[in-house]
Amino acid sequence: MEAIELKKILEAYDNKLDKTLRINLSSMKELKLEKSQNNMKKMLNYRIFEVVTFGFLAMILGGYIANNWGQTHLVISGIIVHIFTLVALIGSIGQVVLLQQIDFSKPIVEIRKKIERVNSHGLLFVKLVFLSAPFWWSYAIVGLDLILGVDLYIHLEPDFVIRYLTVNFLLIVPLVWVLIKLSYKNLHRKWVRVTIGLFTSSKTLKALEALHDIEEFEK
Amino acid sequence: MKASKEDEFLATIDRHKKIIYKVVNSYCRNKEDRNDLEQEIIIQLWNSFDKYNPEYKYSTWMYRIALNVAISFYRIEKKWSAKNDFYNEELIFSVSDDNEYDPELDLNIKRLHGFIHDLNELNKALMLLYLEDKSYDEMAEILGITKTNVATKISRLKLRLKQEFQKNTN
Repeated sequence: MEAIELKKILEAYDNKLDKTLRINLSSMKELKLEKSQNNMKKMLNYRIFEVVTFGFLAMILGGYIANNWGQTHLVISGIIVHIFTLVALIGSIGQVVLLQQIDFSKPIVEIRKKIERVNSHGLLFVKLVFLSAPFWWSYAIVGLDLILGVDLYIHLEPDFVIRYLTVNFLLIVPLVWVLIKLSYKNLHRKWVRVTIGLFTSSKTLKALEALHDIEEFEK
Repeated sequence: MKASKEDEFLATIDRHKKIIYKVVNSYCRNKEDRNDLEQEIIIQLWNSFDKYNPEYKYSTWMYRIALNVAISFYRIEKKWSAKNDFYNEELIFSVSDDNEYDPELDLNIKRLHGFIHDLNELNKALMLLYLEDKSYDEMAEILGITKTNVATKISRLKLRLKQEFQKNTN
């Protein structure tokens, strides 16, 4: 099939459509044009809910740190949980901004990237959960103190605390390495694909694959 | 005022109906999906109608919206809109019977559609624009990639298309 033959086919097809393609004006007029409630709006509502939730948590944790100022273990634990909450909050605000920038009249690649970044948001939470693994103790200390008013730290043996903190400290570097690798750029590595598939939804994995495809398309 | 805006919109859609028809046919195989996608594209065009930037050709603007909606629709397999009860059942676009039936043309068009259907979503958009005889500049503008990239990809696609037609002819 040479370009000229292709053009001939298309010309004939266009002529055929000119003669036969009709618009059903009555169907068009019945369309309730103002009522579109597409997926983007639903997603925006979810993300706004996330922003409100994380904002609320950040405020509570700020108050918790201020109220316990002077009790080192509670303040340190509070600050650690607060930092992770702020990262989640910033991530969700970024998503709201991205969603509001989605305008279908913009170039296709630009819009695809934004949509797929929104769809792959689940990976951020998985990364946050794993990254906070060496600090899970701080969640337990803050959670128990906030909900039940129990200070867990004073019930722990000092030797246990030192061993626990040492092991967790050693975990930080390998964890950061793993988390950096968990990206759409490394989907060709089996362990990356399996890990992402195991801890996120199929929608997140598909979005990451799409980001990879978009990058290939841009090359 | 509102009625005249709607009339203007309807007239615009009527003038450019081939764009929507071709995009829908390239991204959806079955009638139900086509119906949903036609309606979703028209709704998005209506929502963006006031924001039309005259700096671009109307067809460029329309292609961007239609393709962006089609790709989003295609990726989520019609989940976002198929259940909306405001959609009616009748197709907006219809093709009446052609008195001048040409079997060879029909076969070639089917082959071409088959080829387009097998491409990934972004290459499908590129192929569609190429078949519409858009300039490389315009394709680059619609897709948001460089003109050189468009040229490279088009030559690869043309080669694949040639091989596909040769395979079918043999």
